[in-house]
Amino acid sequence: MIQIQDVSKSFKGDFAVQNLNLEVKKGEILGLLGANGAGKSTTINMLLGFLNPDSGNVYINEIDTSTNAHDTRKLIGYIPENVNLYPYLTGLENLDYFCKLAGLNYTKDELENYLSTCSLSSDAHHKKVSGYSKGMRQKVGIAIAYAKKAKVYLLDEPASGLDPLASNELSTLLQKLASEGASILMASHDIFRVREVCNRIGILKKGILVKELNSKDVSANELETLYLQFMQN
Amino acid sequence: MFQIIKNEWRFLVRSRIFLGITIAFSAIMLLSIFLGNYQIKKQEQTYQNAKDHVRQQWVSIDEMNPHSAAHYGTYVFKPSNLLSSLDEGVNNVTGNVLRVEGHVQNEIIHSEASQMQAVSRFGKLKPSLLLQYIVPLLLIFLAFNSVSNEKQSGRLKLLVLQGAKPIQLIFAKTLSVWLYGILLLTFIMTAYALFNSQNLSTDIVIRTGLFFSTYSLYYFIICGLTVFFSARWQNATVALTSMLGIWIIWTMFIPNILMSSAEKWYALPSRNEFQSAMTEDRSKGLDGHNPTDKRSIELKEKVLKEYGVDSVSQLPINFDGMRMQADEDYGNSVWDKHFGNNRAILKQQKQSFQLGGIVNPFISLQNTSMGFMASDNLHHQAFLLQVENYRRVFIKMLNDKQIFGGSKTGNWSWKEDNAFFKSVPDFEYKPTQISEVLSNYMLDILLMILWSILVIILIVYGTKKIKII
Repeated sequence: MIQIQDVSKSFKGDFAVQNLNLEVKKGEILGLLGANGAGKSTTINMLLGFLNPDSGNVYINEIDTSTNAHDTRKLIGYIPENVNLYPYLTGLENLDYFCKLAGLNYTKDELENYLSTCSLSSDAHHKKVSGYSKGMRQKVGIAIAYAKKAKVYLLDEPASGLDPLASNELSTLLQKLASEGASILMASHDIFRVREVCNRIGILKKGILVKELNSKDVSANELETLYLQFMQN
Repeated sequence: MFQIIKNEWRFLVRSRIFLGITIAFSAIMLLSIFLGNYQIKKQEQTYQNAKDHVRQQWVSIDEMNPHSAAHYGTYVFKPSNLLSSLDEGVNNVTGNVLRVEGHVQNEIIHSEASQMQAVSRFGKLKPSLLLQYIVPLLLIFLAFNSVSNEKQSGRLKLLVLQGAKPIQLIFAKTLSVWLYGILLLTFIMTAYALFNSQNLSTDIVIRTGLFFSTYSLYYFIICGLTVFFSARWQNATVALTSMLGIWIIWTMFIPNILMSSAEKWYALPSRNEFQSAMTEDRSKGLDGHNPTDKRSIELKEKVLKEYGVDSVSQLPINFDGMRMQADEDYGNSVWDKHFGNNRAILKQQKQSFQLGGIVNPFISLQNTSMGFMASDNLHHQAFLLQVENYRRVFIKMLNDKQIFGGSKTGNWSWKEDNAFFKSVPDFEYKPTQISEVLSNYMLDILLMILWSILVIILIVYGTKKIKII
């Protein structure tokens, strides 16, 4: 579970996040919408324990990230906009390496299984990542988080630059993870994808959560209109 | 940490460019060792031939007046050393042939400072050139973006999230690049051992072991500092520029500045000054070739009194030989004084260099490299001293024969036969004991260990503030 309570963070006097309150329960996917500089990445970095809030608290499964970052990171799977893997390793070797860093020793079959579960076709498992498309690398990134048995997934613009098919596969995968009990927070510009994948949606503007709503309560067009209204005001 | 090192090595093994560089570099190293060995073995053969020839000339003297033989003299050759194929040190400037003659001592007037050869080494393909200049450069190019690349690509976040601690990562990166340096070093040492498998001795094994250890320390310092900069600076270019700057300062500027400074602080007399001072001091002593010299007359009176006779013709010995030896003894004391002064100055210069290791571990590396490969100035001085000691024994033997061999004073036509000349021992070089070498270079070794500890401290404390994002 993710809990963000009254969190503020500023850089050189400018607020990146201001009095932010958020909660993502088990099995839930929260989409954070916002323009560049809205505070999405800052929020994710605070959840990852790479930034400490100036005030307020950030919890992962009720553990404070500011004081126990090493423990909370064990629970987190993180998929950035660009999953930069080691190009000289195959997808399988990358997964194996990252798992071993986390202290997880999987057999080759198990690793292959994780990659297949994350929709990476089996003929790509043994190819060097230098020949992968962005979507394929994202899938390995998700497989790394999945193999880690992450309780919380943080995704920063994960579908950016993906083709529609890959983007759709990603959505399906995230819903599968949520159905298995994961809490997922996804920061994105992609209004339609967020509405499609997420249970709840938050709109961030200049570090302030200006709107929070259930995705079921709003159509894609209404969401777009709402989002644009907030951005223009 | 093992996983990170393993992964780094997978990159090294799979990178074609890197493999190409390694193969090309290894081939150059092999060539340098082969050529070095070939040259040393050729020198060794030439040395042995010349030594045999000179000895043969000496033992072939049919009959000759011993004092004439002292002026006829002989030559002593510095044996070439297999180790110097790894580091030639000062050997190519000090020469390796000395003349041994009555009344004439060899000089040491070259300065320790001038033996640094910091820049002059470029241009000669020697293993020491590759190991001291090129391998560190390779290590710098391998390590400069090892952490910054992880940061810029965003992988550092992923690595930390997977449980890797930044300090582990930095040490692992340092060790993996360092191991590459060790691999190159091992390759050189193995090739060297294979080329010389017939001639390996315990002394050579110990010395090469120490050589290996000091280079390992230096490579650790280079790798640790480069990875540290890579972690500290956001930009890989800044890390590379910083490290190249340090490399240039360490290998070119500081040795040259220190060279000039040490020569200024502790100046050796010039050859003219040295010879003038020697001539002046010798003029105050007995002149063996001048019977009317005041001190010569005093010696004659003393000897006549000792033997209870009135004239040298009544002496049972040859007084000419005695006068010659007295001249020789005085000359020896003058040489001891001036040689001693020069050695003291050289020692001060040496200490200045060694202390230079506080700011520049490259100086410590060069010192130990030459020292362990027996091609430093201390080994050369030890050789000069052995030659001088041999010269004294050699000349005394000839003078004693002149004195006590049965000739009379003034009988310069008296000759000794071949058996005597054969009995004069040949010069045998005694290599410097490794314990002495170690004690001479303990400061350099300690400074390199201190530098390594400093690098570890830098990594431990400096990386605490590393920004992951």
